[in-house]
Amino acid sequence: MLKIKIGGPAGLGIMSTGLMLSKLFKRLGYTVHGYPEYPSLIRGGYNNYLIIADTNEVYAPYKKYDILVALTDVAITNEKIDEGMILLADIESTKDKTNLKGKVLDLPFKKILSKLEVNEIAKNSIALGALIKLFNLDFDCLDEMLKENYSNEKLYKINHQAAIEGYNTIQERINFSVSKKDTERIVLSGNEAISLGAITAGVNFFATYPMTPASSILHFLAEHEKSFNIITKHTEDEISAINMAIGASYAGARSMVATSGGGFSLMVEGLGLAAIAETPIVIVESQRPGPATGMPTWTEQGDLKFVLNASQDEFVRVVLTPGDVEELFYFTFEAFNLAEKYHIPVFILSDKFLSESHFTTKPFKTDHLQIDRGLIFGGDPEKPMEFFPRYKEVEKGVGMRTIPGTPGGLYKAPGNEHDEYGFVTDNAENRVIQQKRRFKKINYITNDIPHPKLYGKIDAEITVVCWGSVKMQMMEILKITDRINFIHFPAIYPLDWSKVKTMLENRNLIIVENNMTAQLKSVIAENTGLIIEKTILKYDGRPFFADELYEKITGEAL
Amino acid sequence: MKSVDFNSGKIPNWCPGCGNFAIWNAIKGAIAELDINGKDIVNISGIGCSGKMLNYLRTYGFHTLHGRTMPVATGVKLTNHKLTVIVNGGDGDGYGMGMGHFIHAIRRNLNITYLIHNNHVYGLTTGQASPTTDKGLKSKSTPHGVIDEPLNGLFVSLSAGATFIARGYSGDLEHLKSIIKAGIMHNGFSHIEILQPCVTFGKHYGYEYYDERVYRIADDYDPGNFEEALKLIREKDKIALGIIYKVDRPTQEEQLPQIKNKTLIDQGIVKRDISAMLKSFA
Repeated sequence: MLKIKIGGPAGLGIMSTGLMLSKLFKRLGYTVHGYPEYPSLIRGGYNNYLIIADTNEVYAPYKKYDILVALTDVAITNEKIDEGMILLADIESTKDKTNLKGKVLDLPFKKILSKLEVNEIAKNSIALGALIKLFNLDFDCLDEMLKENYSNEKLYKINHQAAIEGYNTIQERINFSVSKKDTERIVLSGNEAISLGAITAGVNFFATYPMTPASSILHFLAEHEKSFNIITKHTEDEISAINMAIGASYAGARSMVATSGGGFSLMVEGLGLAAIAETPIVIVESQRPGPATGMPTWTEQGDLKFVLNASQDEFVRVVLTPGDVEELFYFTFEAFNLAEKYHIPVFILSDKFLSESHFTTKPFKTDHLQIDRGLIFGGDPEKPMEFFPRYKEVEKGVGMRTIPGTPGGLYKAPGNEHDEYGFVTDNAENRVIQQKRRFKKINYITNDIPHPKLYGKIDAEITVVCWGSVKMQMMEILKITDRINFIHFPAIYPLDWSKVKTMLENRNLIIVENNMTAQLKSVIAENTGLIIEKTILKYDGRPFFADELYEKITGEAL
Repeated sequence: MKSVDFNSGKIPNWCPGCGNFAIWNAIKGAIAELDINGKDIVNISGIGCSGKMLNYLRTYGFHTLHGRTMPVATGVKLTNHKLTVIVNGGDGDGYGMGMGHFIHAIRRNLNITYLIHNNHVYGLTTGQASPTTDKGLKSKSTPHGVIDEPLNGLFVSLSAGATFIARGYSGDLEHLKSIIKAGIMHNGFSHIEILQPCVTFGKHYGYEYYDERVYRIADDYDPGNFEEALKLIREKDKIALGIIYKVDRPTQEEQLPQIKNKTLIDQGIVKRDISAMLKSFA
């Protein structure tokens, strides 16, 4: 397994370089995972991109890695370098030479840049060239990436030259076997998986306000809006975004919003409106540490209970907690079906780690996927201006949706409690009928959403319980040991909790969550009475690192 | 189509003498004369006495949250721009809570007709000051008198770039109806402020108050003149009624290639093929 980190100040293009290197390894037959870290600023600070590459599957970042490419001093001072590592750095430009540890390979960025008369941004390509040489790879495989990445001929030439200079600098070699050419599998981020799932599902209305780590969904869909006839709106705020999506859904669109916890706070009022008016909506909430602005570019799983309980009063919603890019893609597709079948809000709960990291996967297969828009009234041309009992149960607690423009389908979609036609009423009996009808849906939804799943050896000594992105670290740990298995929650509400209880009982359980108070633990306790005593929690804005988590689990429970 | 065809069958529960009755009749009259089928109209309401309007109209409707009419109307219109979208909301709803959305709706210039019922008071919450209440006036929420400056909604919409600005009065039904008609026919965002006495909580702004001040804009007035519109909007003692400003600017829906040939709704929802796109991730 290779673990390489590229670090330097923001503004040097480290993220796109990291992705290029990830794809390069992938094309050589490796499975790659790319984990980016960056602060909330445009220039300066410290950015880095960690690449894990292996001939086996890889899922998660490690705290300890093997090779550091330091584009400037800032990487050397920010990273913990030990003697076993290889450090590629510009020795002459390093102020405090005592920081140069491990096996240091000189990469004279400054000299090369002045020789080529190009600016600092070309450092990336110098570094890529050097790495290619270090791994004893053919320069062509890098050149192919550069050509793809720089469509501008002038830019390509600069980077091509810089890469050659980097390539020629390095004399050392690392054993590295190329397994097989891979032109099939893909490398993508969680947010790209969500966007592709939504596009496949026929999303045609998307409204949002930019907020890290959800913004790249907006960027992706906006870029493709004309190819797929999607209306994407960057609205004045998140309140507008969700209400606009609700209006679009009411008029018959498949609509979605995407935000982080702070933006979702503004959307909560609209969430309630979607619920009582029963306008289907898909809400992506990619978590970051909070509250308020919190740590904008870092990760956490702190919004589970917020999303489960957001809005006044009680209503049915679905909270999906996908754990990898495949689940992000397929669950997003299915989220639209669930929203339209049951006329409810459906959440995709992600986090910065899952949304913005890169993962390798097989291209998504879509042949078996089917769009299900639920019950929609076809109209009655004989009586075009008749009111229609849109809120009268047809089946499973769900009424027949009618789309404005449909003859004979007139109704009022209300934020108020209402009768079967949507007219406002405070009638006590009606309120109970409507609430009972709306809640009846739960019994059917539980069969339509994914149930917690056990991964690993069935009778392992210890069973980790987790949700969302922690699946990635646990998959990595399964590669190391068979003494541990894990139960992953790909959805948290609504579940058949008696089945969950049976699954959890009589095991040596330990809960692992990227938050401070073990929110899933309390949700499990509330619904099953089971209290999982052992917890491993992390809430410093960083995801669990596979090696760190393995040590913690073995220390805690084995 | 006749005006009565648009009665929903529900009896309005506004106070006797409320200006909303006239606005209700003006809306019904306008859509009847324009001969638009109720199935092709979406009435969108905010919260307040004005918001109840949609319950009494035989059309599609969405009773939204307080202040959020504009985003919901935008979503409806962008999804199916063939629909006639009419919005009713009060001064608290539109100029208070919904002010941010109002300005951005104007910028978008969708073909939506927005009727802001201005009675200078929060009626349904039993008489607090609104953003348009005059300085010094005492209300339940300002027992010692309002100290904030009143907001001039038309001044706001003119500066934000509205393409149709008009003022009507619930005490002049026929004239109001003609303004609403013109607003619906205008290809773009229409801001129609309707002066409307709240007979229970807005006694300071009763019919007498308005009858003394309102006048119809002269027939030869040119609504395309920004400077003249500004003058009318900023008048202090008199209140001009009619179309104050009207210009043509491309609507948002006309500028979106995604819906150039067909509305989103007419394009239907189809499973899309992403296989070609996936190659770029290899």
